[in-house]
Amino acid sequence: MALLEIKNISMQFGGLKALSDFSFAIDQGELVGLIGPNGAGKSTAFNAVTGVYKPTKGQTELAGRRIDGLSTVQINHAGIARTFQNIRLFTQLTVLDNVLIGFNQSGTHGLLGAIVRSPKFAREREKFKGEAMALLKTLKLDQFAAWQASSLPYGDQRRLEIARALATGPKILCLDEPAAGMNPQEKIELTGLIRFIRDRFGVGIWLIEHDMKLVMALCERITVLDHGETIAVGTAEQVQGDPKVIEAYLGEPEK
Amino acid sequence: MSVAGGQLPLETPVRRHLSAPLVANWWVPLAVVLVVALAPWVEGGRGLLGMGGWDKFWAQIAIVVGINLTLAMSLQLINGIAGQFSLGHAGFMAVGAYIGGYAVPTHGGKLGAEDEMVAWVHPGGVLLYVVALGVVTVATAGVVFGLYKLVGLLGRVHKRGPAVVFGVLLAWLVVDIVTKGKSAGSNPLGAIAALGWGSAAVTGSFDWIMLRGVGAAEWVSGVTPAGYRQPACLVVSLLGGGVMAAMAGLVVGLPTLRLRGDYLAIATLGVSELIRTTITNSGPLGRATGLSVPTYSVDAEAGVSAVYFFPWVYGVAILTILVVWRIQHSPKGRALQCLREDEIAAGAVGIDVTAHKVLAFVIGAGLAGMGGALFAHYIGYINPKQFDLTKSIELVVMVTLGGLGSVPGTIVATVLLSLFQPALQTANQWMPAWAPGWATSGAELLNKYRLVIYSLLLIVAILVRSRGWLSFGRGKKA
Repeated sequence: MALLEIKNISMQFGGLKALSDFSFAIDQGELVGLIGPNGAGKSTAFNAVTGVYKPTKGQTELAGRRIDGLSTVQINHAGIARTFQNIRLFTQLTVLDNVLIGFNQSGTHGLLGAIVRSPKFAREREKFKGEAMALLKTLKLDQFAAWQASSLPYGDQRRLEIARALATGPKILCLDEPAAGMNPQEKIELTGLIRFIRDRFGVGIWLIEHDMKLVMALCERITVLDHGETIAVGTAEQVQGDPKVIEAYLGEPEK
Repeated sequence: MSVAGGQLPLETPVRRHLSAPLVANWWVPLAVVLVVALAPWVEGGRGLLGMGGWDKFWAQIAIVVGINLTLAMSLQLINGIAGQFSLGHAGFMAVGAYIGGYAVPTHGGKLGAEDEMVAWVHPGGVLLYVVALGVVTVATAGVVFGLYKLVGLLGRVHKRGPAVVFGVLLAWLVVDIVTKGKSAGSNPLGAIAALGWGSAAVTGSFDWIMLRGVGAAEWVSGVTPAGYRQPACLVVSLLGGGVMAAMAGLVVGLPTLRLRGDYLAIATLGVSELIRTTITNSGPLGRATGLSVPTYSVDAEAGVSAVYFFPWVYGVAILTILVVWRIQHSPKGRALQCLREDEIAAGAVGIDVTAHKVLAFVIGAGLAGMGGALFAHYIGYINPKQFDLTKSIELVVMVTLGGLGSVPGTIVATVLLSLFQPALQTANQWMPAWAPGWATSGAELLNKYRLVIYSLLLIVAILVRSRGWLSFGRGKKA
């Protein structure tokens, strides 16, 4: 059984069925993609799994434990972290603070400990700071640690958002259109980064992307959605040759 | 990486100073405690603080500044750091003021009648009252919450379970009002049996605790050395006011914190008005007429009670500043700042949004309650009018001018704004003889248009420097 199993979830908004009988599985260290034209239900699938929406039907299991219907916070604690299509960093905080947030829930000093500055507080602060700096270093962001997050260049903001998600210690990392708004050079760097993260942290990565070249280059398995229906599942080659997929993209295999 | 060299000198001295904890050790809290503990030993508090030459007027202004520091700083935690715009801070202040202001005169004077300061001699009595009130409040809230959960559980048994329960309750209420309401007179609510049982249980258990605790209360007062009975009464009054206000913050917080922005502001305003209206209609609390509160003074005749109160006010103010600063510079505070910036992202990185909002409200309200109790014991007379929207807005102005999220800025803004009015009003008294005539008349003119100036400052501050005038190095817009 895979680490994350999504079984026949459906998402209905009034009369609109945004997602129907969507099934999916990711294992540790896997890199899988979810593609489809605009309005196909990709982000809906993401939101239904990460707890922004509660699926109207079906269930999700992470390591055998049901997680559908839990809140975003509980799902994050269970081990699924995500990034956003439009970058949502804490712009007024420093780069280091953005990553430190991810370590937040593992602190045990409590509020009183923070007010009286207990030895445990000081110990944990140093420990988390070290871990956060190590993480920033791994993602080559350490020289920006004291910068305000909003002053980072665009590509590095993406990188920081991924670092922040990794800091929560996820088993599954969900990336929502990470290449959106990037130039070709940045996209090449991103491809390398995603592969590096998978190898370095051993997380399962679930990728939503519009950029076909990126998805085809990266993902071992691809699911194609159209109008909420799953129209194809397979490797890059299989999906590319699928007539249904070509039809969905109006005969344009490369957008 | 796109910047040449990739290294910008962002570790400036100011920045380093700001991100360092206010005091990395125990010295400041220890000093505060020492000042407060030693105050009764030093005659009138004057010798200790070297304020023998201070006249009454300026000492009183200094007290007002200190109380405003506590109130504004506690609001900074809610409005500035956590970014939850609250317009109801005066309500929490009122809770603290009325708890302290009611408990001390009614329960603080039963030990020995030989002492002339009758209200301040029985700390055990005040403690008993506050504890009883707290226990009953917690128990009541627990029962109500338990019933609410129970009805919710019914929903699992059958989908329409909760609806049926509420239907039955509603029918019972209607029948009750119709059958007994007429005979009960003009107030149909008085006839509602469930409410009647509830209030009987609450007052009954309250009286039970008060009766059983008399012995313990007298023992507590007995072991307190005579010189420390008055300060002990004050400490209990402050803590009691703070804890009850924190509970009010919790009760307010849980249901209203799903709201954001304007809606939250309206809801908090509504709650503070609710608190005010409840006080206005409560007989024991003096209704709209108000309540006389014993001031904290040893020699009222000499008129230096304000000086004697000084270390207490500043002890609490420094404590508040320290607590707010240290929360801001801890993981919890970082989480609060994330709420301010982006709630959706905060949820996605595992920050429990509701829990953190409630935390900010509970602590902010608790500290405001202590400020309220200080205010009551300083001013000597409280009425509901003192805790209306004007007071809340005054505090919001202090926090906003100081800068949302800036603790040092709030201190400066609060001190300046608190000094502004009395300084301008008394310009003809303190203006030196050599000052030209237009200086005094100018000050009078400024005083006349004080509120206009406040408003203009506020508008300009929000437009130009939303992080405050004094937010060194942090004023950068996102």
